[in-house]
Amino acid sequence: MTTTIQETDERIIAFLSGELDTAAAAQTEKDLQPLLNSKGKEIVLDCKELQYISSSGLRVLLSILKQAQSVGSRVVLKNVNDVIHDVLDISGFISIFDIE
Amino acid sequence: MVSFKKSMLWRVGIVVLAAVMVEILSIVQYQHVRKALLEETELRSLLVMKDMAEVVQHTLERTEITLRENLWDVKRSMVHPDSVFGAMVRLIDEDPNIVGACLAFRPYYYPSKGRLFEPYASLQPDGSIKVDQIAGPDHDYTRNEEYAWVLETLSTSWTDPYKYGPDSLAFTTYLVPIYDEVGQIDAVCGLDIDLSWLGDTLNTRQPYPSSFGLLLTPEGELVAGPSKSRTPETEVKHVVDLLNGVIPASQVPGLSYSTTKLYKDPYWQVVEVYKTDEVYARVRHQRRQQVFFILLGLVILMFMIDRYARNERHLREASEEKARMGAELEVAHRIQQEMLPKTFPPFIYGSLEPALEVGGDLFDFYTRDGKLFFCIGDVSGKGVPSAMLMSVARSLFRILSQKVDSPSKVLEYMNKELCQGNDSNMFITFFVGCLDLYSGELRFSNAGHDKPFVVAKDIVLLSSKSNLPLAVFPNTQYEEQTCTLEPGTLLLLYTDGLTEAKNMDREAFGRPRIQNVLEQFRIGSDQSLYKLVSTLSEEAHAFAGEAPQSDDLTMLALRFDPEYNRQEQITLVNKESEVTRLGSFVKDFLEPLQLDKKLAAGMRLALEEAVVNVINYAYPVGEQGEVLINADTNGHEVRFTITDSGYPFDPTTVLEPDTTLDAQNRPIGGLGILLSRKLMDSISYNRKDGKNVLSLTKFIL
Repeated sequence: MTTTIQETDERIIAFLSGELDTAAAAQTEKDLQPLLNSKGKEIVLDCKELQYISSSGLRVLLSILKQAQSVGSRVVLKNVNDVIHDVLDISGFISIFDIE
Repeated sequence: MVSFKKSMLWRVGIVVLAAVMVEILSIVQYQHVRKALLEETELRSLLVMKDMAEVVQHTLERTEITLRENLWDVKRSMVHPDSVFGAMVRLIDEDPNIVGACLAFRPYYYPSKGRLFEPYASLQPDGSIKVDQIAGPDHDYTRNEEYAWVLETLSTSWTDPYKYGPDSLAFTTYLVPIYDEVGQIDAVCGLDIDLSWLGDTLNTRQPYPSSFGLLLTPEGELVAGPSKSRTPETEVKHVVDLLNGVIPASQVPGLSYSTTKLYKDPYWQVVEVYKTDEVYARVRHQRRQQVFFILLGLVILMFMIDRYARNERHLREASEEKARMGAELEVAHRIQQEMLPKTFPPFIYGSLEPALEVGGDLFDFYTRDGKLFFCIGDVSGKGVPSAMLMSVARSLFRILSQKVDSPSKVLEYMNKELCQGNDSNMFITFFVGCLDLYSGELRFSNAGHDKPFVVAKDIVLLSSKSNLPLAVFPNTQYEEQTCTLEPGTLLLLYTDGLTEAKNMDREAFGRPRIQNVLEQFRIGSDQSLYKLVSTLSEEAHAFAGEAPQSDDLTMLALRFDPEYNRQEQITLVNKESEVTRLGSFVKDFLEPLQLDKKLAAGMRLALEEAVVNVINYAYPVGEQGEVLINADTNGHEVRFTITDSGYPFDPTTVLEPDTTLDAQNRPIGGLGILLSRKLMDSISYNRKDGKNVLSLTKFIL
């Protein structure tokens, strides 16, 4: 599981790649720390290379969302594949994230 | 509907046209017959009048003859004036038609008698004959026209009919000159003939009850006619007035008459009167009958058309009803076909071909807990009633076998249910089996169904004990049997639609033919079950040829094939990092099944969530614990079993988190078990030997 973060003037983009399972969750959460300091910029999570996500992974996404919402940032999930979409759907997360 | 109305209108039109034509024909015929009848009536009255004329002529001739024969007597009597009276009396005696006789002498023939002398004898009503000399100043016969006419012409003559006397009797008088030897006229003899009888004669032979004949003077005065009792006087007068032109013909409609001249003398006329109503009465009666029959015929025809139309409508309704039934049966057929399993794992295959749209056969199977539950059944009878009972049986099998492993118990419960309210006395032969897909152990119970074939090294019939069919007696006990199948063993279940498929010669397909086909499916054969079932079906149809399929043809073939069975396990310690190993383990296990990516990912997630739950919470913090994961598949389903020795905990009882809250209030706990539940088909928990055993099952076909 690897994460890459790009920051521009308007937004912070995090590219998630690999399998965000329970084992990988803790490290990923650490890697995404910069997103917690968004200062109102839009946060984009690009899931193009993300193949798998467990509930621990969802927890990571949720904590980013909560933080962002508290500072008025928007969180967008991009390029979500079917498998991930299914999980978001079952867990009800589909209603709290912006998915493009 | 429109075309129907049109054709109906058409038919009615034709009938009406035909009726009108018949009516016109009948009117023409009627008019024709009327005319003919009138002509005939006129002819008849002419004949009657001719008869009349002959009678009158005969009477008058007789009088003429009487006088001729007695002329010598009259002449001889003239020698003395007083003897003339005797001659007159003798004339009356001689001829009953003569009611009066006189001899009017030329003036001063007998000087002693003065200028006028006319001896007269007359028949009195009492039959006596009265004689008298009637000439005198009041009665000067020389001034009589007729007397003068005789003297002038010297010929005999008949007077016109006239009325005379207090009773207004009708008379005519025969006048004959009497000559002396030198041809000088001495006297004129007059014979009075009573004509009143002529009226009776005229009216004795009338063709119609109200027709009558009249005798008229040339002046149109009535001389003789029907008696008062036959025809009212007013009516006769009416006719006479009509004839004389006193009243116009238009005032007496319905009256018709013919006239004819009588005798040599042109002044007599006889009139035959009849009423057209009467003449036409019979033909009118016939016409009324004819009209009645035409109307009757019309009514019958209309009735027939109506019946025909009604029949046609019934037929149409029946065919619509049939079409509707057909459509409904088509739906029923689809529903029934949809009840049958449609996807088949490699170790089982079945087919059902109903003889009618819907059938009373059924088969079903499904796997649960590594066991294959299957059944085949045949409801007595065919068609809709059987199909309905079949649906009930299939539902009962599904529901009961979910909870009950024992086939005999399944049958027992099914039987109890089916016996309730089975007033139509239908029954079902039924076979229930439960095959352990891992061990090959087969438990089965047979409720009167055909014994299945077991194809291993040999081909035999499964030695099942026959119990009563279902729905016969509510308290039937069903015996259960057990056997173990060798790997590769094939089981063929069928209904009698296969064994008893008949050809045109009424021969049955029979078991030997099935056995022949089964030869190719002994252990070691890699032919598919689909191939077996389709081959048998083809053979049965080929055998039956043109003969119609008489019963549902149902087959269910299964093979105990541990080839598809696979089982792997892994033991993890209670650390989150172990999840990586778990991921690889699952991926490797699922790989050969070549599952859809999403399905595989879902199963992996479900297992991970369940395992993480154990890793995190089963053991006290800091205490090392193990988690045993067992994965197995039978080609039909994948089952994960997670075993740990931690705190007793049943994750299936955890409440689902609320997934509708907003992000700030969204709980994260419980989400894992939610995912496990949603992603797997079944999840069950057992506490066994001090261990938590959690099973997650997913059907993969």
